Amino acid sequence: MILVWKIWGAYVRLTARFPSVATLMPFVPVVGLWALVAHLELFPKVFFPSPLDVWRSFIDLTWKGILPDYLQDSVVRLAVGAAWGMALGIPLGVLIGMNRIAYRALWPVLLFLQAIGDIAWLPILVIWFGYGLVTMTFVIVYTVLFPVVLNTVLGVRSVPPVLARAAQSLGAGRWSVVWEVILPGALPNIITGLRNGLGYGWRALIAAEIIVGTSGIGFLMFDARRAGSVVEIFLGMIILGILWYIVDSWVLAPIERTTGQRWGLVTR
Amino acid sequence: MRRRLETTAWFMAPFAVILAAWAFVLPLFEVNPRLFPQLSQVIEAARETLADGTLIQHVGASLVRVAVGTTLAIVLAVPLGIAMGVSPVISTFISPLLRFFSVLAGIAWIPIATLWFGYGFGAITFIIFNAVFFIVTYNTLLGVSTIPMPVRNAALSLGAGPLVMLTEVLLPGALPNIVTGIRTGLGFAWRGLIAAEMIATNVGLGYMLFVARDFYRTEVIVLGMVVIGVLWLLIDRLVLAPLERATIERWGMVQRA
Amino acid sequence: MKGLTLRHLSKTYFDPYSGTRVDAIHDVSLQVEAGEFVSVVGPSGCGKTTILNMIAGFLPHSGGDILVGGKPVKGPGPDRGVVFQSFALFPWKTVLDNVAFGPKMRGVARAEREKIAREYLAIAGLSEAAGRYPSELSGGMQQRVGVVRALANDPDVLLMDEPFASVDAQTRMTLQEELTRIWAEKRNTVLFITHDVGEAVFLADRVVVLTKGRVLDEIKVGLPRPRKWDDANKDPEFQRLSAQVLEKVRAA
Repeated sequence: MILVWKIWGAYVRLTARFPSVATLMPFVPVVGLWALVAHLELFPKVFFPSPLDVWRSFIDLTWKGILPDYLQDSVVRLAVGAAWGMALGIPLGVLIGMNRIAYRALWPVLLFLQAIGDIAWLPILVIWFGYGLVTMTFVIVYTVLFPVVLNTVLGVRSVPPVLARAAQSLGAGRWSVVWEVILPGALPNIITGLRNGLGYGWRALIAAEIIVGTSGIGFLMFDARRAGSVVEIFLGMIILGILWYIVDSWVLAPIERTTGQRWGLVTR
Repeated sequence: MRRRLETTAWFMAPFAVILAAWAFVLPLFEVNPRLFPQLSQVIEAARETLADGTLIQHVGASLVRVAVGTTLAIVLAVPLGIAMGVSPVISTFISPLLRFFSVLAGIAWIPIATLWFGYGFGAITFIIFNAVFFIVTYNTLLGVSTIPMPVRNAALSLGAGPLVMLTEVLLPGALPNIVTGIRTGLGFAWRGLIAAEMIATNVGLGYMLFVARDFYRTEVIVLGMVVIGVLWLLIDRLVLAPLERATIERWGMVQRA
Repeated sequence: MKGLTLRHLSKTYFDPYSGTRVDAIHDVSLQVEAGEFVSVVGPSGCGKTTILNMIAGFLPHSGGDILVGGKPVKGPGPDRGVVFQSFALFPWKTVLDNVAFGPKMRGVARAEREKIAREYLAIAGLSEAAGRYPSELSGGMQQRVGVVRALANDPDVLLMDEPFASVDAQTRMTLQEELTRIWAEKRNTVLFITHDVGEAVFLADRVVVLTKGRVLDEIKVGLPRPRKWDDANKDPEFQRLSAQVLEKVRAA
């Protein structure tokens, strides 16, 4: 028992020095278990490949250049969609947050459009734009847009009015107040919105690639499913998981922390 | 009461304007019905599908799948989350795993689920289960580990046994997180459902939309989208949001910004 | 430097809950001369913050005139600097950028406005804090920045709305002494709102007692400057004036 605690203590000290160890270590037993189950062939091999099969397929697809291409396609689609989503969503959110008329006219519609959900748009989008990039971009922009707008509105409304007054009495005009006070004040919320939006947008991308796609990780998985090639489905899922993990915890979460906490706007 | 009515009226007003424009302005233009339907066509489609029972059938199938998948997931996830959350050692070790799987939740499971379970009820319920299960487990575990140690110690020193501890401290303490988890998970599950139904079944709202696309029946597609939107608004606003408010805000466990 | 004139100022608003018209301010007339320091003191709810908000241009007034240097006030503007009770520093700007904000709005180039900001920070002994964010400072330090930020914009009139009400007693006294010292140097026209009688007398050339939206009385304070609390506490004239003002406030 004491030995167990000693090992745990060493592990805790190690993770304190190298936080990535804490992220990776829990996957070791999972992969081990996976390998064992596959090795014992508890499930038929066509349904449940071994880690080694997946690794070989990873090497193979990377070597052929298919995987890098597909990965690039997916990431670029997501980035373009997110950029448009922000470019439209932040101004719209500021407008709705600051203007009562815009709020009354648009807020209920926004809630409803968000409720319809991106994926339900796919059939009619296919009719309008056909299978391809426009449809996919539309779906991602649509998904990213609403969390960004809704959170921007919340953020704008959470800026204390006294700060706008302070800026005005220091000589700030209408646009300066928006630029110097409202936007920075809403920024933590905007980033939270972006984070949520990307979480949804990324799923929408996969759905779009599965249903209407001709390339990308989602397409890779569904193509493999048609061919009954379970190895590539597993590979696709793992890549998706890792990709999002990296984006979320190495890019989005740190931005969220640094802005909100340094400014004292968010308490931990 | 008057305030409530007023708020509702303001909420409905934009929709009234949109519907009016749809009903009276759109017919003035020659819009190809294969691209966008007239309001009258959508109403006709609603009447038709209601009369022959297909709309009810699709909605029913979708709701049953969501109900079964979600219930199963919650029933399994909450006890598991609490059990793991009680031990700080296990919860710190396991949480990266849970995060990884919550990230995958829902849509990414469609290919493998359809391969394992074939097309139909099993695969779709599995996808919904998946979307809810990992997120709720993760949130439950998070909820339990955020219960302050003094609160747990206080309960112990007041003579709480394991069962009392569970029902009086751990479960209520984690409840706000659990509810948030359910709300997020269901959001993903709902999207996953629609996506899965487009591919992997022959009944359900997603299927209804996708088949209508084959025949360019835009009025059925738009009808389906409206139904999906209204259903989700009802689920979210009438069930989930009040539940979240009731637990979180009532107990003052989260400060409003 | 310009003076501030209030002529027959009034404020009525419609209360949606009771459905009646409420008279918050009745007919207030007040002249603050250029370079004069005037305190307005009164119990809470007497309308003093409403008056300040109208002068600052945050609230519209219902009747009468507000003139700065003879010109009527329209909306908020940089001619009237405001120091807020809640500090109202921009949390996302460093101390330096907070103080340089006013000059920036005037279109002063970066190097120049940072020089101005540093000068003012030095006056308040804040040079060390220039690169820090407001959340990293104590309440007392934050309000020093608030005062300096308003001054750095070189306003005609400085409006202070219970600026020291939310800092601890010890710090408050230090801040009050610092304010008299800085004011002795800059000689701005100041309207200082407070409910603290001692503070009102200690700081001002003249104390205006306000009750229920009316001016009850004005008391001249002829104490020598610069003022220190150690001296003031021993000064019978200060005691007498404070007692006199307190009596008026209580009678309110």
